[in-house]
Amino acid sequence: MVDIEIEIDGNVVHGHSGESIISIADREGIDIPRFCYHKKLSVAANCRMCLVDVEGNPKPQPACSTPASAGMRVHTNNEKAKASQKAVMEFLLINHPLDCPICDQGGECELQDVAMEYGSDVSKFNEGKRIVADKGIGALIQTDMTRCIHCTRCVRFGAEVAGIVEMGATGRGEELKIEPFLSEGIQSELSGNMIDVCPVGALTSKPFRYEVRSWQMSSVQSVARHDLVGSNVFTQTHKGKVKRVVARDNESVNETWISDRDRFSYEGLANENRALTPKIKVKGEWQEVSWETALEAAISGIKKNSAEAFGALASKNATLEELYLLQKLTRELGSENLDTRLDVANPSSASALETTISLTGLEAVDHALIINSYLRLEQPMINHRIRKATLQGAKVSTVNAKAFDFNYRVASSVLSAPQNTVVTLSGVLKVLLESNSQALPDYLKGTKVNQAQIDIANALSAAENGVVVLGEQVSSNPCADQVAKLVEQIAKASNAKTLNASATGNTLSAEKVSFKPNGGLNAKQMFDADLNAFVLLDVYPAFDCVDSAAAIENLSRDDAFVVALNSFEDASVLSFADVILPLASFYETSGTHINIENVAQSYSASVKAAGDSKPGWKVLKVLADLLELPGFDYTDSSQVADDALSLSPSLAATEVDIIAMEVPNIATVWQYTPYASDVLTRHSQSLQQTQIGQVSEATVSEATAKILELSQGDCYKGVPVNINETVAEGCVFVHTNQARQR
Amino acid sequence: MISEQAKQQIDTWVAKYPAGYQSSAVMEALKIVQAENDGSLTSELIQAVADYLEMPVISAHEVATFYENYNHKPVGKHVIRFCHNISCMLNGADDLISYLETKTGVKTGEVSEDGLVSVKKVECLGACVGAPMFQIGDQYYENLTPQKIDEILDGLQ
Ligand code: SF4
Ligand code: FES
Ligand code: FES
Repeated sequence: MVDIEIEIDGNVVHGHSGESIISIADREGIDIPRFCYHKKLSVAANCRMCLVDVEGNPKPQPACSTPASAGMRVHTNNEKAKASQKAVMEFLLINHPLDCPICDQGGECELQDVAMEYGSDVSKFNEGKRIVADKGIGALIQTDMTRCIHCTRCVRFGAEVAGIVEMGATGRGEELKIEPFLSEGIQSELSGNMIDVCPVGALTSKPFRYEVRSWQMSSVQSVARHDLVGSNVFTQTHKGKVKRVVARDNESVNETWISDRDRFSYEGLANENRALTPKIKVKGEWQEVSWETALEAAISGIKKNSAEAFGALASKNATLEELYLLQKLTRELGSENLDTRLDVANPSSASALETTISLTGLEAVDHALIINSYLRLEQPMINHRIRKATLQGAKVSTVNAKAFDFNYRVASSVLSAPQNTVVTLSGVLKVLLESNSQALPDYLKGTKVNQAQIDIANALSAAENGVVVLGEQVSSNPCADQVAKLVEQIAKASNAKTLNASATGNTLSAEKVSFKPNGGLNAKQMFDADLNAFVLLDVYPAFDCVDSAAAIENLSRDDAFVVALNSFEDASVLSFADVILPLASFYETSGTHINIENVAQSYSASVKAAGDSKPGWKVLKVLADLLELPGFDYTDSSQVADDALSLSPSLAATEVDIIAMEVPNIATVWQYTPYASDVLTRHSQSLQQTQIGQVSEATVSEATAKILELSQGDCYKGVPVNINETVAEGCVFVHTNQARQR
Repeated sequence: MISEQAKQQIDTWVAKYPAGYQSSAVMEALKIVQAENDGSLTSELIQAVADYLEMPVISAHEVATFYENYNHKPVGKHVIRFCHNISCMLNGADDLISYLETKTGVKTGEVSEDGLVSVKKVECLGACVGAPMFQIGDQYYENLTPQKIDEILDGLQ
């Protein structure tokens, strides 16, 4: 790329040859109006708003599609440019309804702003305007297509970024409409970004419809903590309530996009199910009490019991500060019984696998092997980076229990039930080691290899820049630790990077503060033991625990005293808990999220906590003080974060033996829909109404169904059965928004 | 949904493009499928074409709604495709369309009761020198007048 000099409005500026005039102008802070141009999308050059005068050209040129060349002299505001801008503006407004007073885009509308700057103050148009009937495209996006100016940003977003072409331009001339095919609703997990790219009020947020005028809100910088990326967002608040969440640019984290989960989960904050007041159970009856009384009850219950009989369990979505304080409290009490890994079949689990690739690094891979993951729904922004790599020619192969719907082509996929995954991966490893002429470890000596494994191994070793991704479905696998070990070995043998997405949310904060037993009991062992006192941090066993019935049963014992810090009320928690301390939810507390790149992102509270609920770090600090534990004199959550971040957890390498374990003949892989992945999303009505949110099916092959004596429409663990051949033999793949049942 | 015979015809078009560019055959495919369905398309047929050519259904729908060659409602045996673009409009196309409508008793976009004719307004057919004009089947009729329209209609069966 050659560095060139051009002149814009008399200023000498630099660019590289081939770069568009508009992108140079943007970098230099020179305003050029535009509608269809978007820095992350292809150039359509259809709105003509960006016309500028380029000396030597008889006609004005679109700045978005005109490449700069050395010595070019551009005028953005001489007579010629102004006349074109005014003409285009007039043309665009011919059919626009100008219903700004009732439009949710009002005040943040590119059309309004540009009309103000470049338009005329009188309209010459007396004819009838065209009207477009709205079809309705789902629960998240409100359409008012009469306002559409046909810039096709939303169409290009679907085709180029979301990877699902849903919106299109149908008809022609005056009949041209932007719409999806039929009104089956938008299916992308990134659909909300269309609201952000739409320059007018044609696509707006449905849950935000008519809530408040945009200029009445304040924007607070925050971080979404539903997944491993920690997308940067602005929460927009009004009178102490979060009214909307929009993307905040951060090129190395989420670029300019956010997932629908990050965008719409805030709706749950206003759900009527919030836990708002402290409560204690007296003779089996719940009583609302003051914080003092509730905390008193909590500590007297905890004090009554010995340290060995104390256990702490926390949500993966808790903040770094909360996790740090709860582990400190537990350890100061003298207990090592603590865990966040509630949903894993085997708590020695897959957490040891290191992530060795950055988010931007993912865009440069030429091969990705995705194991045990529906990555598109689990980690939308990570998947998006891999999709970008595929657009540059990267190939993707998968080893999964089911054939999932990715938004890129999967070159090869191996269906593998959990009980066969160790064998499948062992085969791959064996091929790799043999082709490197490396010595085989004992456990691979007897391994047989088939063609599919050879193909995967060859693809990986041919790649210069490979990555192996391990996803969250591995948590259903009793041999998760072996799978993780094999992934590590495979990556080593093929010189590939690894990405551990086996646990989501703020899991890396839990790792950072060692929120797991060092000699004590893990989650599963706690539920097998008879502990006498528990502190649960935003835990909802019915959803969160791998064996929910056993967990609830254990917590319901008469001699189990349970203090539950909850942001939402939950029937099963009410049934077994003794004290409920209402907890500030997402965006109501300051905190820190550690993302997949180990970047700690701190944020302040966007709004005050609902009702009488309080930020977790304050509650835990006061609990510790009342328990007279030393070292809790914090006055600010940032002090807690500083202490937590100064820890360097010992990465004691645990020995994992690859052995044939006793596993059931038929395994269950249980995965929640992305909108049932944590307590806040589960309470967001709009997310629940989407196509992704409504899925609840147990997919099983015909042969496996026969063994289990299941037929189409029966229920398996409470979830309707769907028999088809997209799933591996010997397992049931449950994808649901329902709580776990036995 | 699409007959074997139609699939074979589509395949000959697909073969004209490089491998992986099968969606380039979408216009012909829609035409073939439309012909098989008495001259009009349905959402299901568009979906079937998109599936067959492995392309997003909305993209096939865009093509099917952009070009006037495709009909989205049942049509008569003869489709009178009346140009109402600039040259024809300046030469009185609108009046002639009303004349045609009264004469046949068929409104634009509808089919006569006996199923013989339907009328459709279309964009420029590239015959501006002979404006106003319409097309029936493969035949262009140019420099239209009410008398000429009467004669043409009388000849239809
Ligand atoms: S809906 Fe919005 S983004 Fe889509 S084409 Fe219309 S104006 Fe552009
Ligand atoms: S921004 Fe250049 S034509 Fe639309
Ligand atoms: S405008 Fe009618 S044929 Fe060209």
